Amino acid sequence: MTDIFTETSTPRYRLTRARRLIRTLVRRITPKRIGLRNRILLIFVAGALILSIVLASITYSFTRANLVEQRINTETNQALTNARRAQNDLILSPEEIALALDQAGNTHKLIFMQGQWSASSPQFLQDMIPDVLLERVQNQGRAALMIVDTPRGEAMIVGIPLPRVDALYFEFDNMREVRAALQSLQLALLIATVITTMVGVSLGLFASRRAVRPLANAAQAARAIADGRLETRLEPTDDPDMQALTSAFNDMVNTLQQRVERDARFTSDVSHELRSPLMTLAASVQVMESRRDELPERSQAALDLLSSDVLRFQGLVEDLLEISRFDAGAIRLVLEPLSLYEFMKQAVSVSSIPRTEIVCDDVDALVAIRGDKRRLARVIANLIDNARIHSGGKPKVVIQRAHNDEPPTHVWIIVEDDGDGLIEGEFDHIFERFSRGGAAGRRAGTEGAGLGLALAREHVALHRGRIWATNRTDGIRGARFIVELPIEIPTTTDESSA
Amino acid sequence: MTVGIRVLAVEDDERIRASVKLALEDEGWMVDEAASGEEAITLFGTHPADVVLIDIMLPGIDGFELCRTIRKSSNVPIVMVTARADTHDVVAGLEAGADDYLTKPFAPKELAARIRALLRRVRPSQPGHPKLIFGNLEIIPDEGKVLLDNHEVELTKTEFRLLCELANDPGGVFSRELLLDKVWGYGYFGDGRLVDVHIRRLRMKVEVDPANPAHVVTVRGLGYRLQS
Repeated sequence: MTDIFTETSTPRYRLTRARRLIRTLVRRITPKRIGLRNRILLIFVAGALILSIVLASITYSFTRANLVEQRINTETNQALTNARRAQNDLILSPEEIALALDQAGNTHKLIFMQGQWSASSPQFLQDMIPDVLLERVQNQGRAALMIVDTPRGEAMIVGIPLPRVDALYFEFDNMREVRAALQSLQLALLIATVITTMVGVSLGLFASRRAVRPLANAAQAARAIADGRLETRLEPTDDPDMQALTSAFNDMVNTLQQRVERDARFTSDVSHELRSPLMTLAASVQVMESRRDELPERSQAALDLLSSDVLRFQGLVEDLLEISRFDAGAIRLVLEPLSLYEFMKQAVSVSSIPRTEIVCDDVDALVAIRGDKRRLARVIANLIDNARIHSGGKPKVVIQRAHNDEPPTHVWIIVEDDGDGLIEGEFDHIFERFSRGGAAGRRAGTEGAGLGLALAREHVALHRGRIWATNRTDGIRGARFIVELPIEIPTTTDESSA
Repeated sequence: MTVGIRVLAVEDDERIRASVKLALEDEGWMVDEAASGEEAITLFGTHPADVVLIDIMLPGIDGFELCRTIRKSSNVPIVMVTARADTHDVVAGLEAGADDYLTKPFAPKELAARIRALLRRVRPSQPGHPKLIFGNLEIIPDEGKVLLDNHEVELTKTEFRLLCELANDPGGVFSRELLLDKVWGYGYFGDGRLVDVHIRRLRMKVEVDPANPAHVVTVRGLGYRLQS
């Protein structure tokens, strides 16, 4: 019997083609470019598609086999009955072949008797009978069945010998009903495949979103921690898979927080411990200073060194304490509206060069900011100190509007000196803690190395501003420090001058 | 003017106490030392000081408690010493009755300047006007007395000076900066919270309804004013 499932294209050809297709697909969408979400979605869709195709194929082949088998059984029984009846007719009246052909149902029939073929319809003639079948029925005298391909689809031919009249009986059934049934089944399965795939898509979307949500939460938490909110934690979950990530993440943050706090506490503790002896030193030095004239010359020189370094020490401890507060996130600004020009005049007057000139045009003189005046004054004092120590020149302070926005949103406080300027690439470095250098010919002095600029940067950032350094661009050698602060939009006029 | 002043220094660190004593004695002042709050209370009972210097961080009863205890019986100026200026400590200390504060480490010169400012005398009365009357509030500067509805009100020295400054220009607006300068001797960088807390304390005493002050009123965005 021939294989009833004849294929038009060979499996081998199809496999290579599919492989090539997959390879191109994979090459085109490399995993690097596919995000986790899309990957999950892709897996779901591919899974749904493959599963539904496999199921559909299995369903189809089983159903088809069943239908065909059933049909074969029915037709075989029918053909046997018909053949028996035809034989009986032919025994009674051997000449009435047409009658024998006619009486049995609506299938097409052929009878070969005494070397002659008789057909019930022109649609089924003897040349459609394969030789194998004819040979088996005629020579071996056994009934046989065969499925053949006809131009109009598959058909079934049953051959039965009629030994008592020495004839052969053939019956032809074109299996149209089977084909129709299989076509409906194909359609139904196709629809089912499409629906399944679509369900796969929506499930994939849902699952990928769900799968990514904890990741998004973790990313958000990580960002918050990077911003210094060390108390941030992931919420505990019941999901055993996520639990591992959540607890590992939270453990990490705990450790990090402990370490940060320990470091900050250490600096803070050290500075606090230093304050008491410093207090004693400062008071005692003052007592000695008031009796400076009574001291011999050498003792006076020693006292001068002592008192200036006690002062420096005091400044350093203050800076250390302030920076440890930054590290602990424990700074609380005492904010109030300030008239910038008035503030700058005052800030400069308490700096190490109180006579520094402030350049400011009338419009900018009216600018108000919101700030912690004592901390901002330290920023200004630090910048002026920096200019004094590192340049030896007279610093110049300029207040100007930052951009040409209307209304103005930011203001620049510029401190310029006429020293040696900064080395390219050091512009950022000088804001680091205890950074020395930054300028080509900077004096390797004892002053300067410190926290001044680092603190300035932290303070300005707390005021939602920025600070940066460049070299002067007006043709004069020297460094230029710019503090950008947001302008306070005054709610009540004149508040700052109160 | 400030000669013969007696300062009570309450500080648990013996070395700081000794050095501050030395420095303040250079100003010509007498310094009593106390290492704890308990000791300070006993000492203050027997030798009343003109100014008390209190370290907030004390063993036993802390600086806040000591402030409150002293305030119950005296209007003496109190300067407290805190670790930090930006914490709640400052406001809490001022609420407890301190008049001014310093952060450690401070220069004894700065302390002396603070004490001098707190001990400065005010003479707000115009000649020939021994009494200043604002409705039900009456100020008698020469006697250092304040009467509300004819009942005497206990003010600390600083509260009294603050009230007298305001009374110097009845109806006039005083900015916080101006009051900081006049009452505490601070410049531009003085702490405005000193004024705010003292105004609050003052209102508790000279207002019938401190939540809706009738005399010491806020002029929004500008400062404070004393009115009838």
